[in-house]
Amino acid sequence: MAELKPDVDMKPTLSWQEADQASIAAHWQPALLIDLLIARDFSSHHILRGSGIFYEDIVTGQQRISANQLLQLISNARRLDEADLSFRWGNHALPGHCGCFSQLLASAVSLRDFLTLLTRYHRVFSPLLVPHRYEDQHSVYVYWLPASGLGEHHAFLTEVAMTSVVSACQWFYGQRLPWRFAFAHPAPNHIEQYWLNLGEAIQFEAGMDMMKIDRAWLDKPFQQHNSPISQTAHQVLEQECQRQWQADYHSPLLPEAVYQWLMAHIQQPNSLEQVAQAFAMSPATFKRKLKKHQVHFQAIQDRARLQTSVYLLYVRGWTNEQVADYLNFNDTTNFRRAFKRWCGLTPSDSKYLLSLV
Amino acid sequence: MQTALTLHRHKLLIIAALLLASVLANWYFGHAKPWASIDWLDVVGEGGSALALGVWLILILASRPTGRVTDLLSLGLGFMFLAFCQDVVDEFIRLPNSQWWEQGLENIAMPLGISLLTYGLFHWHGEQLAINEQLKKRERVFREHRMLDRLTQIGKVDYLKKQIQQVMHQQQELPLTLLMIDVDNFHQQSRLYGHRESDRLLHEISELLLLNLRDGDLICRYGGDRFAVLLPETPEEKARQIAFELQQAVRFFAFKLQANGETCYQRIHIGLSCLYQVAQSPGIEQQMDDFLRSANQQLAAMRLSGQVA
Repeated sequence: MAELKPDVDMKPTLSWQEADQASIAAHWQPALLIDLLIARDFSSHHILRGSGIFYEDIVTGQQRISANQLLQLISNARRLDEADLSFRWGNHALPGHCGCFSQLLASAVSLRDFLTLLTRYHRVFSPLLVPHRYEDQHSVYVYWLPASGLGEHHAFLTEVAMTSVVSACQWFYGQRLPWRFAFAHPAPNHIEQYWLNLGEAIQFEAGMDMMKIDRAWLDKPFQQHNSPISQTAHQVLEQECQRQWQADYHSPLLPEAVYQWLMAHIQQPNSLEQVAQAFAMSPATFKRKLKKHQVHFQAIQDRARLQTSVYLLYVRGWTNEQVADYLNFNDTTNFRRAFKRWCGLTPSDSKYLLSLV
Repeated sequence: MQTALTLHRHKLLIIAALLLASVLANWYFGHAKPWASIDWLDVVGEGGSALALGVWLILILASRPTGRVTDLLSLGLGFMFLAFCQDVVDEFIRLPNSQWWEQGLENIAMPLGISLLTYGLFHWHGEQLAINEQLKKRERVFREHRMLDRLTQIGKVDYLKKQIQQVMHQQQELPLTLLMIDVDNFHQQSRLYGHRESDRLLHEISELLLLNLRDGDLICRYGGDRFAVLLPETPEEKARQIAFELQQAVRFFAFKLQANGETCYQRIHIGLSCLYQVAQSPGIEQQMDDFLRSANQQLAAMRLSGQVA
């Protein structure tokens, strides 16, 4: 784990880790994926091939795997199983079996509680996609952003992530909630799986991966299957989670750390050299390390600017001019052009599409 | 593949041993031909054939259980393989005249292999007819293993779509009725009992539905806990009766939990859509989507109103 020296004008410490560092508890979310496949008569040998993971090690409950190993596992799994694997995984992923974290998540009393815990301990529940929650006066939005380069598995992982939230809500409320969805990828061949598992309110090629729901749901109490606990027990549980989080899950992957840094300094014109310096690396090392994570600096910067624009435009209701000005564009034409480059849609098209969601 | 082949270890060992023996015998009794007199075109042709036969042999063994038909097919291919191998070796080694075993390999192995293979294929045909009988209601007219659902061994949604399109193109077997079926509280049950139990539940329900269909009907897995049943030449009233029978069958099905043997009774809801004729426009694709959507919508409506079909 690399520690950064405090920079003059930024937050005191910044730590990150790399995609080949073992950090994800193998017996939690990865084990569920493996079990789903074993139940369908695939041998653990085929499932784990080339990942450097051994089934015997997972069973010890001590094994940690890297993000790269998890991606290799997902790649094997997708080669073996059929189009509904992501949805089956999602349907059992939350609250899941992740020790005290799942226990805490299962003690949530409402959607607000649930989403708060999910985003606070996201790296436990969803190691490769990061949920971000926003609210305006009408709706709650959950955006899912990649923690690292996910390559061809991006769409698959968004299916898992969104299904996991939908399914947990259905479990706790005893009914399917009217979630609405936007996906960055085009409509897939297995569209029926989306309808069956998520519902029919779905827009594809919408420039981002997002789910939203009427905020009236936020404080509706869960109806069933959650296990609220006494305040004292809750406090103890929360402390335990905090402790484990600090010890094992605190550090984001490098691309996510860069994204966070850029979001904190979004109004500055940040060059690759400046950010590399902030991360105490030479630009060449910085570039090489990002490449190892299958991302470019420019892509992360674009994502940070897109996310900021989307937030300001739709959640805060700013105009194009205001956002362009905020992000230091010379004029709105430049901003509109850049926005289209970031997500494939102009701000007005994107606004129209998301209004349908 | 590895595990499938271990079933046939003995056959493979025998063929390998015979091959080794014939090569050694050639080596012992014969003399190498000079390089100049080797006909490379023959080597490539015969060697390629031997290689292809070897691949066929492995593929057949790896994809079949043991049994009479497998023995015949592998013996036939095995002899042909040995004969071709001897032909290849002949290109490199000149044998003195009248080696009885060489005559045997060249003149007897090939016809013997072909006869055995033919006899094996004849029985394979009979076997296939028996299997087709079992596959009725799981497939109609054409077969495509890539569209088979692994869990329930019935067609997936793309197979269903292909079938509907085919009926629409040929405009035969109308009226065509589609039933959309899903299992009540499946999500809940899969959470409560785990994914293994819910897999088993889906498998058993698909078997149960199969038993209650006519020859010529087709059941597919639409996705998740939703099944689709295609009823050719079935008007709406008849289809409603079949739907009712399916619901009754499931109602009296006592699904047993593996953990404690307890019974979980199941209910299904069914949505129905009926196609009496194919219109000139819009296109087939669009009409098929509408056909599917209408059944799905009816299913949702049934669910809301709590009705049975």
